[in-house]
Amino acid sequence: MEQKLIDEIKAAAEGALDDKRPDVVAAARAAGRLTARERIARLVDAESFVEYGVLAGRTSASDDPGPGDGLICGSATVHDLPIVVLASDRSVADGTQSDRNQRKAARLLQAAVQERWPTVLLLDGDGARPGDKGWAPPIMVAPRGRYGLLDGLAQLNGWAPTVACVLGKVLDGEAAAALMCDFSVATINAELGGNDDGSVVVRPAADYARRGDVDLVLEDEDAAIDAARRYLDFHRPDAQPWTVSPDYADIADIVPENRRRPYDMRRVIAAFADQDSVLELRPDYGRSMLTVLARLNGRTVGIFANQPKSPLAGSIDPPAADKASRFVELCDAYGFPLVSFVDNPGYMVGPQSESEGMARHHARPLASLHARTVPLCSVQIRKAYGLGPYAMSGWGSSRNAPLLKLAWPSVESGGMSLEGAAYLVKRKEIQAAASQEEALAIRNAYADKMRESTTGVRAGRTFQFDDIIAPDQTRERIGALLDRTHTARPARPRPIDLT
Amino acid sequence: MSDADKEREALSRLRAAQSDAARPEIVTRIHDKGRLTAPERLDLLMDAGSEVPYGTIAAAAPSAADAPWVVETGGLDALCSIEGQPAVVSSTDYSDSGGGYGAARIGRLLALAIEHRWPMVAFVDGGGSRAAHPRAGLGHIELSGAIGPYTVFDGMAELSGWAPTISIVSGPSFAGHASIAGFSDLVIATEGSAIGMGGPPMVEAALGKRLTPTELSSAEMQYANGGIELLVANEPAAIESARACLAYWRDRAVQAEGSPDWRNPVADPARYEMGEVIAALFDPDSFLELRAPFAPAIQVGFARLGGRPVGVLASNPAHEQGVIDDLGAQKISRHVELCDAWGLPIVSLIDSAGTATVWRNKDKSRTREPGLSRMHGRCVLAHQRRRVPLLSVQLCRGRGLAPALMTGYSTGDSVAAVRLAWHSVELDRADGFALVRDGNAFDDIIDPDETRARLLNLLRLLPVSATEQAKRHAVDPW
Repeated sequence: MEQKLIDEIKAAAEGALDDKRPDVVAAARAAGRLTARERIARLVDAESFVEYGVLAGRTSASDDPGPGDGLICGSATVHDLPIVVLASDRSVADGTQSDRNQRKAARLLQAAVQERWPTVLLLDGDGARPGDKGWAPPIMVAPRGRYGLLDGLAQLNGWAPTVACVLGKVLDGEAAAALMCDFSVATINAELGGNDDGSVVVRPAADYARRGDVDLVLEDEDAAIDAARRYLDFHRPDAQPWTVSPDYADIADIVPENRRRPYDMRRVIAAFADQDSVLELRPDYGRSMLTVLARLNGRTVGIFANQPKSPLAGSIDPPAADKASRFVELCDAYGFPLVSFVDNPGYMVGPQSESEGMARHHARPLASLHARTVPLCSVQIRKAYGLGPYAMSGWGSSRNAPLLKLAWPSVESGGMSLEGAAYLVKRKEIQAAASQEEALAIRNAYADKMRESTTGVRAGRTFQFDDIIAPDQTRERIGALLDRTHTARPARPRPIDLT
Repeated sequence: MSDADKEREALSRLRAAQSDAARPEIVTRIHDKGRLTAPERLDLLMDAGSEVPYGTIAAAAPSAADAPWVVETGGLDALCSIEGQPAVVSSTDYSDSGGGYGAARIGRLLALAIEHRWPMVAFVDGGGSRAAHPRAGLGHIELSGAIGPYTVFDGMAELSGWAPTISIVSGPSFAGHASIAGFSDLVIATEGSAIGMGGPPMVEAALGKRLTPTELSSAEMQYANGGIELLVANEPAAIESARACLAYWRDRAVQAEGSPDWRNPVADPARYEMGEVIAALFDPDSFLELRAPFAPAIQVGFARLGGRPVGVLASNPAHEQGVIDDLGAQKISRHVELCDAWGLPIVSLIDSAGTATVWRNKDKSRTREPGLSRMHGRCVLAHQRRRVPLLSVQLCRGRGLAPALMTGYSTGDSVAAVRLAWHSVELDRADGFALVRDGNAFDDIIDPDETRARLLNLLRLLPVSATEQAKRHAVDPW
């Protein structure tokens, strides 16, 4: 073959690389961001990137000024886990979506569907490219390939993990893509938004995180991309090296002796899980519920837990119910066994939560727990009143029962909180009390009296739990059982609700 | 009197004690409130003489001291037929055990419903708590003693998506009763009723506030917020609605027949109510709208086309220009999932200026902005998983992602059966004719007068049995 032909191709491909585009690198530096290729390099294993469509141009001219047409994509590995990566390149037409670059995306999304590869989007683009001849309304039958971006992500839902890193200004179709992924992480400076007749409206990613649309907001691109890597690590099939957390030995001390004092459930989870294995999802949304990916004895587990140290004191309001439900579905889709730490006064009552649809939303975690195929082990630390244990521990599921129901000696149980029951029983005395303090004292004294009949030993005697254990036996009990269960990835997609 | 006669007499005495005739004062009290007793409601719902009751003497507790804790106390539960369709029904009112239901008995009937694919209709008055006992507070839910594989909770979850579940709220409904409603495909409430998770005693215990049920969570508020599907005047109307809903499901295999002619009410495509099109296009008076006041830019419901039941999905240009906001997206998604589970083809009528997202401000006011939420993504997912056919008609505008949210992308396992557009169609970047010729955006551009004929003819060809397979998915409670 004529060497000139080979050299020409090599030169054209190399022209797309950063060292041939110093002005692009300089512009990124000036803006305080990484180039698209630098982002990919931080995400994937060295030398693992197999690029698709490096030659595809913004134009078809041989001296095309838009290498890759604004989307750099290909197959790669992250810690040897095969993935697909799609990175918007802001240096070409503001990272917009064109007919041509979406054809590139379509090729890789189909590969991801067929090979069951996780897909990572590194997003920094303005949405649909204005004036792009090939662009057409989304009602079209995917003219660019089997799947477009959004329907490709929908097809991957519950089949292979999808991750979005929101790294700059992300608009319209690209914002939609970020909101369709299993896991979305943004930088603190990132923005999402849309176009309205040419005027762009954006909000900081932190606003989206507060309503659960974005999972995590981190300080910079390195942190966001690192979180994506850590999320993907949970999907590695083999057990990872692990050590017990140094805090595990003192896990019992996290729970205060005074049963009315709150504590931070994050500390319990961190002490229980393998050291430094915790990745919390959606910390800024439904804050009375914690959803955490972690490892136990090197294997991925999904941990959901009530947060006593939250404004709602761990009670489950509609966002918390939705958060738990979606997390159960996520873990179910990827074969992660579930562990729950339970300490809640039940579902949130009152006009506020009712107006948000508590009567409907409360059923979502119950339905997700019923539909799950992964095992569930629950640890009740203190209380779970009303329907609380149904949402957290799978009570009420007689067909798909929890694998193990444990409690710590600090357990309390009943139809409503001891304080609440005490209030109703002693209502007349409480209302006649001279001061708020006296009223509280009457209530608490009666609650403490009732508490004497609901101790851990009593819960064990009445077999409300499979066992009441010392807190520092928790890892061993759950670890032993999970080692005996078979939780392969489901052979068919298991839907993960987006909300 | 022989022993057998004595036993027979004892049985009829116990049964008589359960009947309305034995409690005239209570019956009068209920009637004075304009309401029906638990048995009267079932009598209106069930086909006459079809009832197979379970636990007719269950409420007769062995002793007064045991009464509150007898698992099977309270309410009436039965198998029956409703317009020829076998069904499981349950009814409680506050006159019996504070409205407590027989949890194990409902679980048992749910197991039968799951086995035979029977719908469930439950009157869910009840709840309240008895806080003197630490185990009280859940409307007498008791799970030990379940008969068969399911409890109330997982039984409802399992039946969901397999056969319709309908709850009727006609009095305060809290705790376990509200939970049955929460799991249901459809909740029908009467004006002046209330439904919520935590009843007034729970709220007083937790928050120290004494509220009436309607102050706490009225059916009217729930209707506005999307928490219930239908709000009707009274119990007979609720029962009529429940029967109508069940009939859409029962008749899902009926072949479409009838006239292709219709009168297009749209004079000016820039100014019309989508409701006028719906009323004219589908069979007369066949449209039953669900969740009407909630996210009113989107309209959903059931209707019939040539007698064949269909799900209706529409954006109303007369309200917020048919823009799909977060709540509208939720309304679309759940309805697509519901129609998919019920095996009803969907007719999607599109006229929308795009999408918006609603932000809650700190002062509780709301701001609408262009943009998206995860709810919009849920529409794409719902369509991608849909197995029932979808027939779409774009009347005028379909900007941004709106058409995709109304029809889905045709790339999953389900291809839209047909995508039509009226010649009045208006698109972002090109005219409809060019898009059909060059972009395959629609399968055809039609004269509005052809609409009913196109849909009807296609519907006749679409298999009526394709959805009669294994359960595909549950209906999301929200």
